[in-house]
Amino acid sequence: MKKRIVGLLMVVTMTVLLFGGCGNNTTTPSGNDTAATATSAPAATEATATPAATEATATPATDTAEAVTLDMMHFSTSEESQGNGGSDGFRTVIAEWQAANPNVTLNQNVLANDEYKTQIATLAGANELPDVFLLQGMNTKSWSSQGLILDMTQIIADSPYASLYNDALFYPFTADGKIYGLPALTGGTCTAVVYDSAAWADAGYDTFPETWEEVFAASDYFAGLGMDTIAFGNGGQWQANSCFLSTLGDRFTGADWTKSIIEGTGAKFTDPEFVAALQATQDIFLSGIFNADYNTVTNETAREYYIDGSAAAFIGGNWDVSYIQASLAGTDLYNTTKFAVLPQPEGATASYNTQNIGLGYAVAINAEVANDPAKLAAAIDLAYTVTGTDFAEYVASNYALGGLTTVANVDLSGFDQWTQDFYNWSYVDTTACEIYDSYVDGSVWGTLNVDLQTMMNGDMTPEDVAQATQDSYEAYLAQ
Amino acid sequence: MLNSIKPKGRVVFAYLFIPLGIYLFSVFVPLVTAAFYSLFYWKSGPAKTFIGFDNYVSLIKDSVFWLAFRHNIYLVVLCIFGQIGLAFIIVLLINSKLTKLKGLHRTFGFFPSTISAVYIGLIWTMVFDQRRGIINWVISKVQDIPTRELPVWLNDSKLVMTIVAIPLIWQFIGYYMVIILSAIASVDKEIFEVSEIDGASAFQRAIYIVLPLIKNTLIVCVTLCIAGNMKVFDHIFTMTYGGPGYDSIVMALYGYRTSFDNGDMGYGCAISIGIFVTSLAVIGLTNVLANWLSRDKGVA
Repeated sequence: MKKRIVGLLMVVTMTVLLFGGCGNNTTTPSGNDTAATATSAPAATEATATPAATEATATPATDTAEAVTLDMMHFSTSEESQGNGGSDGFRTVIAEWQAANPNVTLNQNVLANDEYKTQIATLAGANELPDVFLLQGMNTKSWSSQGLILDMTQIIADSPYASLYNDALFYPFTADGKIYGLPALTGGTCTAVVYDSAAWADAGYDTFPETWEEVFAASDYFAGLGMDTIAFGNGGQWQANSCFLSTLGDRFTGADWTKSIIEGTGAKFTDPEFVAALQATQDIFLSGIFNADYNTVTNETAREYYIDGSAAAFIGGNWDVSYIQASLAGTDLYNTTKFAVLPQPEGATASYNTQNIGLGYAVAINAEVANDPAKLAAAIDLAYTVTGTDFAEYVASNYALGGLTTVANVDLSGFDQWTQDFYNWSYVDTTACEIYDSYVDGSVWGTLNVDLQTMMNGDMTPEDVAQATQDSYEAYLAQ
Repeated sequence: MLNSIKPKGRVVFAYLFIPLGIYLFSVFVPLVTAAFYSLFYWKSGPAKTFIGFDNYVSLIKDSVFWLAFRHNIYLVVLCIFGQIGLAFIIVLLINSKLTKLKGLHRTFGFFPSTISAVYIGLIWTMVFDQRRGIINWVISKVQDIPTRELPVWLNDSKLVMTIVAIPLIWQFIGYYMVIILSAIASVDKEIFEVSEIDGASAFQRAIYIVLPLIKNTLIVCVTLCIAGNMKVFDHIFTMTYGGPGYDSIVMALYGYRTSFDNGDMGYGCAISIGIFVTSLAVIGLTNVLANWLSRDKGVA
């Protein structure tokens, strides 16, 4: 009899364990801190915009002692926060908020960026989004139309920091005139040219060339030294889009075309301006100025080519810049490294001196949270805090970075030359343009990214790439 | 005495239900749900619209899916010869009287199949690396080629499918080696001795004695090989992510990318069912072919 009971208990336990894994339980206390893949959120536009008002003081909305449990998902892992100001600031402010709100049990599920994107899309598909999470710009339209995310227009207007917000940053998270998130993390570029000014001076250039023709001319010199002129990594297939074409395309098409694509008001990927941008991209990549393995290595590998001195420049995003900065500290190359925008392609006249910068993610709230007023109040307060002045001042004073909330008179004097240069380059000396994949839809960019890689090998024409992308875009618009 | 320790029928049934339950839950339920959801337009959110067989109509017309299918078939062919063929040869070598340390060979041969496919992918990515890979290192030592001009193996659109097959072959040789070894071990040794006395060479013994006697085992190996390669994912995900472009895309990776990169869950489910149906068809055809080949030979 006893054996029977034990046996029965074991069967029950096994069954519970087997099926227990399928439940929707996100109570991972400190999160699933898996290995970070240094892909932080792209970036902000002109964080130096004049701070319109004096600093507001946060008034916590959750003064009540009512116990609340809040589930949150984000991708600021502890690994990524090492050297990445946005992640460090985000984690720091969340920890402070937790300490100030003992009545709230905050369950954080923290994943590396790549895994985060996959998991949040899967949760959205199952209608099981966490209470608070980071929304990627390109999901705003479809998720809001399905009622998954809370309309935060009024919440943003009521924010204690509302007067300090840089309103332009809300654009990727706006659908049908309503805003669905508070742009989070820090603004940083997706396309910066990092170059060794000493090597380029030796090649006869005081600053990085302003045209591609000059870069082509310099490549013979660097090839003679056994170096690549520029290092780039497109092994993940998204880099050529986010960290190259998005800026180069703007030079040919201008901002109006991009806006028209975003809003579906007539612009096409087959428009001659965009095809010209694709043609320029193909010409540049087939010219031999890049590392030969640009289509197989990722940006993480390509930036090492710059760090180890086998390339005279590197093109990548702000996350790469912060990694290179940390890696080069104390070396001669650290002191000679400078920043530039992409050189101007021949025939491109729509814009100059641009780089794609913006905040790619926003703090969003699950629409179902509205059913629980105490929980909603806690979620709103958390969203205000992680995008408010506490966060902005932390990243400004520790990293010279800007976020949604502007900080008056950022004191750069305490920072070294690298940080000052990159701050000025990011927010002052250059013009912002849009990051393509903060908008539209993953299916369109999926098509473009795959064909772009083939095109960069010379196995597909720009016209065919444009047509395939347009077909995918029309399918998206028809939905 | 025996009857007193013999478990009752329902106890046996209860225990047997555990693996059956796991199987139903992990294989059958996902398959049925995928078939169900493949009938819906289900993209980037919970909203689903019933569209009947539209996803399958798209699938039949989808050139990328059929490209991926051809890549899978190519892998199957390479791996049947590479994995099973090489395993057969290695087994014959290990069984040779001249071979010393047989146990060691068996262990090391089997070792790669115990490693996670993702690690295998990473290891071989390094082997094929343009700058630091051992292949290009050897080439640069043999021929005086500057690093910048060495081949980029994983970016070669014509060779990339063959290149990604190499780690797959390398990993699973040991697996089939163990199966074939056990099959040969079960053959009466006298047969080999008699054939040796009759003057059959090693090659003749392999072709006319060993091969027919383990034919059924080889058919099982081929079936396993097809099933494994029709759903191959991890190696290619790690090594090329299907690139350059779609030059190394396989069906499972295409399904993954459709579901998670493009957020098109409904169509992703249709691709999963497509993988299931095409795999069944290929395995079925192979079995018919194998039975036809072994007809009237008395060993089928």
